[in-house]
Amino acid sequence: MELRVIFDNKHKAFWNMALDESLLMHLKDIGPTLRLYGWNPAAISIGYFQSLEEEVNVEKAKEMGIDLVRRITGGGAVYHKWELTYSIVLPPPKGKVLNSYKLIERGLIESFKILGIEAKYSGINDIEVRGKKISGNAQTRKYGGLLQHGTILMDVDVEEMFSLLKVPNEKLKDKMIKSVKERVTSLRALGIDTDFQELQNIVAEGFKKALGARLYEEELSEEIIKKAKELEVNKYATREWLYRR
Amino acid sequence: MQRESGYTEGKADFKAGKLIRIRAKFKGDKIEDIKITGDFYIYPEDSIELLEEKLKGIRIEDVEKIINEILKDAEYIGIDTESLSMAVREAWINRN
Repeated sequence: MELRVIFDNKHKAFWNMALDESLLMHLKDIGPTLRLYGWNPAAISIGYFQSLEEEVNVEKAKEMGIDLVRRITGGGAVYHKWELTYSIVLPPPKGKVLNSYKLIERGLIESFKILGIEAKYSGINDIEVRGKKISGNAQTRKYGGLLQHGTILMDVDVEEMFSLLKVPNEKLKDKMIKSVKERVTSLRALGIDTDFQELQNIVAEGFKKALGARLYEEELSEEIIKKAKELEVNKYATREWLYRR
Repeated sequence: MQRESGYTEGKADFKAGKLIRIRAKFKGDKIEDIKITGDFYIYPEDSIELLEEKLKGIRIEDVEKIINEILKDAEYIGIDTESLSMAVREAWINRN
């Protein structure tokens, strides 16, 4: 299998989601593609089925200059700050969606192995190290293709995260922060010293191994960029999309 | 704000594998309007919007039947038809 790799930079949230969708739309032209990117400024993405106002302290996020975006994938709200994000577009394999999560997440497990960490599948679609979550993943299938994106936590500040995300029960907030601190880890917490670019290379290598792929790089076509710009302005940046549910 | 006469509103935050949040408006035992949100996964995604549409005007006792019918070919993760039905029912029980 040939896997195109895009070593991307840190971008605004609307662009990140728009480019992921544009890649999915162009899967037939570009073939399987892995994109490795980050977020600047920091952002909160919410799942396709979530209500922004129910999940996010919007005022606080605006005050802190944090981008807010709705994904086309389901799942929960994610605070993207100290992390590497991947997205991959592929022709959907036969069988259950859940099985294809596992197939793709193997790329992450291989990446952690390169870093000297033994990671394993956890829950529905997370990855954990020593019983603590280090990666969350979400998938959609559209336009005849599969898009999965997910994160690798390089560092985490649970308190900052919960100053931005709403919790179901305010009274239990402190307890919840404590419990999440116990259940989430990051590369930094595991004593792994790596930077964004080095991690991009490691994750590309991890996917190469997991999928038995030959990696290649190629510039994005004007058509893909044009479509992403269109989606950025006419979809992701609109209030209609952000407050859709 | 004055509540529209004859209508009640109900909500439920129902923890299945994932969270299902129901915000609904009822008239008697019929659903007038319903919003299903949460951090679950369902394929295809637009089956939730279709379900919201199809649940309008449905009596609470028929909700499960409609959910089973609409989602019969869908694949879901973190929820199932039973937990969705229970969440809607809980919203109805919690109505004001």
